[in-house]
Amino acid sequence: MYGKTSSVGISLEKIRKLKNNSNFTPELLEAVERFDNGSMTPEERISFENQLKDIDFKALVEDIRMTLLSIETQALKERLDEFHKEIPENRPVEKSTTKVRFLSFSKIAIAAGIIIALGIFWMFSGSSNEKLFNQHFRPDPGLPTTMSSSDSFVFYDAMVNYKQGDYKTAISKWQKLAVKTPENDTINYFLGVAYLADKNADKAIPFLNKTIHNTESVFLEDAHYYLGMAYLKSDRKEEAIREFKKSGSEKSNDLLKDLQDGVSSYK
Amino acid sequence: MEHVYNIDSQLQLLDAIKANNSVVLKQLYTANYYKIEALVLKNNGSKEHAKDVYQDAFIAVWKNVKNDQFIPENETALQGYLYQIAKNKWMDILRSPSFKKTKTIQHELNVLDKNIDQNGHEKNEEQEFYRKRLEQTMEAFKNLGAPCKELLTAFYFDKASLRDIADKLKIEENSVRTKKYRCMEKLRQLALASKK
Repeated sequence: MYGKTSSVGISLEKIRKLKNNSNFTPELLEAVERFDNGSMTPEERISFENQLKDIDFKALVEDIRMTLLSIETQALKERLDEFHKEIPENRPVEKSTTKVRFLSFSKIAIAAGIIIALGIFWMFSGSSNEKLFNQHFRPDPGLPTTMSSSDSFVFYDAMVNYKQGDYKTAISKWQKLAVKTPENDTINYFLGVAYLADKNADKAIPFLNKTIHNTESVFLEDAHYYLGMAYLKSDRKEEAIREFKKSGSEKSNDLLKDLQDGVSSYK
Repeated sequence: MEHVYNIDSQLQLLDAIKANNSVVLKQLYTANYYKIEALVLKNNGSKEHAKDVYQDAFIAVWKNVKNDQFIPENETALQGYLYQIAKNKWMDILRSPSFKKTKTIQHELNVLDKNIDQNGHEKNEEQEFYRKRLEQTMEAFKNLGAPCKELLTAFYFDKASLRDIADKLKIEENSVRTKKYRCMEKLRQLALASKK
């Protein structure tokens, strides 16, 4: 009937003892408090320590301490929830130790700022076509880098580099993909615009030409536009005009206008 | 001397934590949260996860400071310790089967440090019993009536003196002493009665 005194028995017996225990007195409670905060006289202390030699007494003292710890812990827990509400909304800019997958707005803003500043600088140098190029050229904004699964990982990983303005790294990563899928219009397009953004119009042209081979491509309009820009940068004005006309996009039309009336005044 | 001074400030910090100094605890809590949030958000967690894991870690740090199990070695040791514990806890959660079931683990988790000391995982029966009692008592305290809860919090957490509490409640110091004991008794009974 009471035969079960093995492993579980220890705890059950303990509970039973604690429940029946009428030894939890105000005096004991205060003795534990005073012992723990060191406010006992040496004599009291020695006497208390002697009592602790009794296993049952010690268990009771430990249990009181456990109760005190529970109170403090729970009180702290509840206070943490209050603290949490007071965490400032504007998170400090932390330099992150883990991989940055998403571009922060500030980085884009800084990159844009640099591009604009350099653009203004270039406007005062170079040939008229070069001027026009620098005045109009904005790198393609790229694709949103969503956390996507495995195979397109390299592509989006390079996209992050591209958006950060690290065109060389982006190009080297996309080049590897282009070897596997040379006819992929997306990769060809971004390789083209990345080379162009990296000021290498000669390398950009073949990739953009490949892109426009696919007349179904969603990048067709933009590919014609950037191809036009690449020609413009290379001082191949006639070919540039041809591409801008094919593109028909708003940006292309603006450029055509500038090329037709503006350039004459440049010269 | 700079170094010594900084260690010194860590020791002051530890003393303040031991005394449950609310201003210091709050400062420590709010100043270190975002590092953990960033870690959790970047590793498949939500803001809710971040808050839970951070609070658990904070309590663990507080306990270790209380028991003198933490000795600072440099001027930001405690802050680093807090981060490390929170990180370990989050890694434990990520590796747990229940979490894996609900979320697809991304490849980058494999890269993370696996040699994390997960102390306390091999609990013996005695410790398990203690842990359970502690949890039950915390739960009981959570649901304790407001007058008792406030009194016990003021005395045991905020370390207010019986005198202070008596003044505040406009009763005799001795009545506070009696009330405190009654509340403790009630709490212990509640905790023992719970069958969780």
